Amino acid sequence: MRNSINRPPTPVAEEDQDHQPTLQEIINIKLIESGEKERLKELLRERLIECGWRDEMKSLCRAFARKKGRNNVTVDDLVQVITPKGRASVPDSVKAELLQRIQTFLASASI
Amino acid sequence: MSSKINHPINGQIFPQPCPHLAEFRSRNGAKAFRALQDCLRVKPPSGRAAIRRDPDEVPRCAECGDSAGRTRLYACVRCAGVHCHAPPGPSHTAVHADSMAPGHEIAVDVDRAELFCCACRDQVYDRDFDAAVVLAQTAASTLHAPSSIARSPHPENLRKRRRVDYRPWMPDPRERVLMGSCSSPLNAAVSVSRSNDLPWGLRGLNNLGNTCFMNSVLQALLHTPPLRNYFLSDRHNRYFCQKKSGASNDATRRNGANNADARICLACDMDAMFSAVFSGDRIPYSPAKFLYSWWQHAANLASYEQQDAHEFFISMLDGIHEKVEKDRRKPQSQGNGDCCIAHRVFSGILRSDVMCMACGFTSTTYDPCVDISLDLEPNQGGSAKVASTKSNYSFNGEADFMNSSQSSGISTLMGCLDRFTRPERLGSDQKFFCQQCQVRQESLKQMSIRKLPLVSCFHIKRFEHSSVRKMSRKVDRYLQFPFSLDMAPYLSSSILRSRFGNRIFPFDGDEPDTSNELSSEFELFAVVTHTGKLDAGHYVTYLRLSNNWYKCDDAWITEVNESTVRAAQGYMMFYVQKVLYYKASEKQVAA
Repeated sequence: MRNSINRPPTPVAEEDQDHQPTLQEIINIKLIESGEKERLKELLRERLIECGWRDEMKSLCRAFARKKGRNNVTVDDLVQVITPKGRASVPDSVKAELLQRIQTFLASASI
Repeated sequence: MSSKINHPINGQIFPQPCPHLAEFRSRNGAKAFRALQDCLRVKPPSGRAAIRRDPDEVPRCAECGDSAGRTRLYACVRCAGVHCHAPPGPSHTAVHADSMAPGHEIAVDVDRAELFCCACRDQVYDRDFDAAVVLAQTAASTLHAPSSIARSPHPENLRKRRRVDYRPWMPDPRERVLMGSCSSPLNAAVSVSRSNDLPWGLRGLNNLGNTCFMNSVLQALLHTPPLRNYFLSDRHNRYFCQKKSGASNDATRRNGANNADARICLACDMDAMFSAVFSGDRIPYSPAKFLYSWWQHAANLASYEQQDAHEFFISMLDGIHEKVEKDRRKPQSQGNGDCCIAHRVFSGILRSDVMCMACGFTSTTYDPCVDISLDLEPNQGGSAKVASTKSNYSFNGEADFMNSSQSSGISTLMGCLDRFTRPERLGSDQKFFCQQCQVRQESLKQMSIRKLPLVSCFHIKRFEHSSVRKMSRKVDRYLQFPFSLDMAPYLSSSILRSRFGNRIFPFDGDEPDTSNELSSEFELFAVVTHTGKLDAGHYVTYLRLSNNWYKCDDAWITEVNESTVRAAQGYMMFYVQKVLYYKASEKQVAA
């Protein structure tokens, strides 16, 4: 009962020190630190709802669950089935808008 | 909020916890997730919950060091080890659960604060944990706006916030005393007159001289569920209305110029009318006071001439809105529908997209609306026979409705809505200035509905003006309208979905199942019909109360059957959101 949940696993911390962050990781950290990542997520969420993507995914999930039976579906199954379709059907305009936002951010953060 | 949305079954029936979660709980007791609660962080813009040991931590997989990207990260609730999990690919979370001693199956998604069982490979739900998350989120959202409302920490309450069960109201002793001292009960005669079993609030309105245009709309408004509830629950009390109280009033002094104008308040007259109509008295009522107030509001329409019912409808909603706005000086636009009762009930938001045909640049505008005016479809097929049967419809009651509906040329309300939301090419004479091309270009315009109102009013443009023939005429064509209407296909989301064409859904036999969305389903409750010609005619309203239809022809109210209504020449149709349509009548629909 005493195992501490707050204690970070030690190996990670050790590895971190000799680990040289890649550009992608630096960008990721900058995005998180500035709070931009949360804003981007929120924007993406909004756009995906607006364009009907979420409804589309919802109905796909429903159809899948109906086909397999309500008690025979796991989240993993759903993710496996829906992910490729979900990725493929994000409208280009949404991708372009996010890309634009990220580029602007990078320019302003001067990385 | 994501944890709430993901609750699968109505928030009522709860899924059986998986054996691993049950074991984890029994091993760790009620405080199983105590340590996790300290790591709950609610992030600003979205207000979603995440799990972080300290606020700026960037969690990464202990195995591969992946911090974000295509995988999800899960923290083991037993040992706090963070691992990645991406279903088709390798999962370090699953490896962790397998390699450790039993008891490490339950993990929490660090970005969503949702529980996951690595052994079952499925989302799991724990009341206490979810309640803690919801509580943290509510606390974070109320942090900025201090409110005195103490939220009950009871998990049951939090869970049921989205669905409220109907419970009939019973006054408690205190309220009973208040009611006794502040109101007078409806007189006993009411119960006698009710014996003929007409629903409450059915009372004829006297024609005050060509005022059937007003009576027909008023009948519809008097039985608009949200509007009726508003006035009958005394939300606008004519005895306490700021507008009408004397000249010492601040508001009155400010616009001292139109002093007389300041004293009229259409909402007060509505309130008076609601009281009179729902008093139980069946003798036809004369809305003279209301008419007088409306004349003052819309001076250009003040006469004993015949008027257009739709024009009156718009004008009187406007009147109610205007008064409230002057009073409270609320800065809100009417689109968000927060300003006054008229707009809270009727106001929706239309979206209009204009796409440049040269570069594809789209400009989007949102416009509030209180009704939707629809063009009648042009006569399809053009067969003379169809046309003639249609014109015969005007008032033969139960004509052979079924026969003609089988002919393809019939106009329907859905057809009109399809036309309304169809992409329309703007002609070369009305080129649109494209911001990207910086010149006027040919463009494509498309309307859709961004936000549905509580009550949708459809106005059919039966009065047609031809600039070529320099004359106006009335279109008597029959229009079929459904009693239940699903607006989902006309919503912006659906319209946009069909516009972004790059979607492939090779799913066998699945239809987009939007019927579960309560908010897009509507029920018909009133139809305003017009008979006669452009310059002289008569308006009659059909009301649907407890699923019976009643014809309100000025002072006369008679029960009619469904086919009469279906055959009528609809001019304005009023639909209310199905969730607001009353259960009592719904049962009868099902029966």
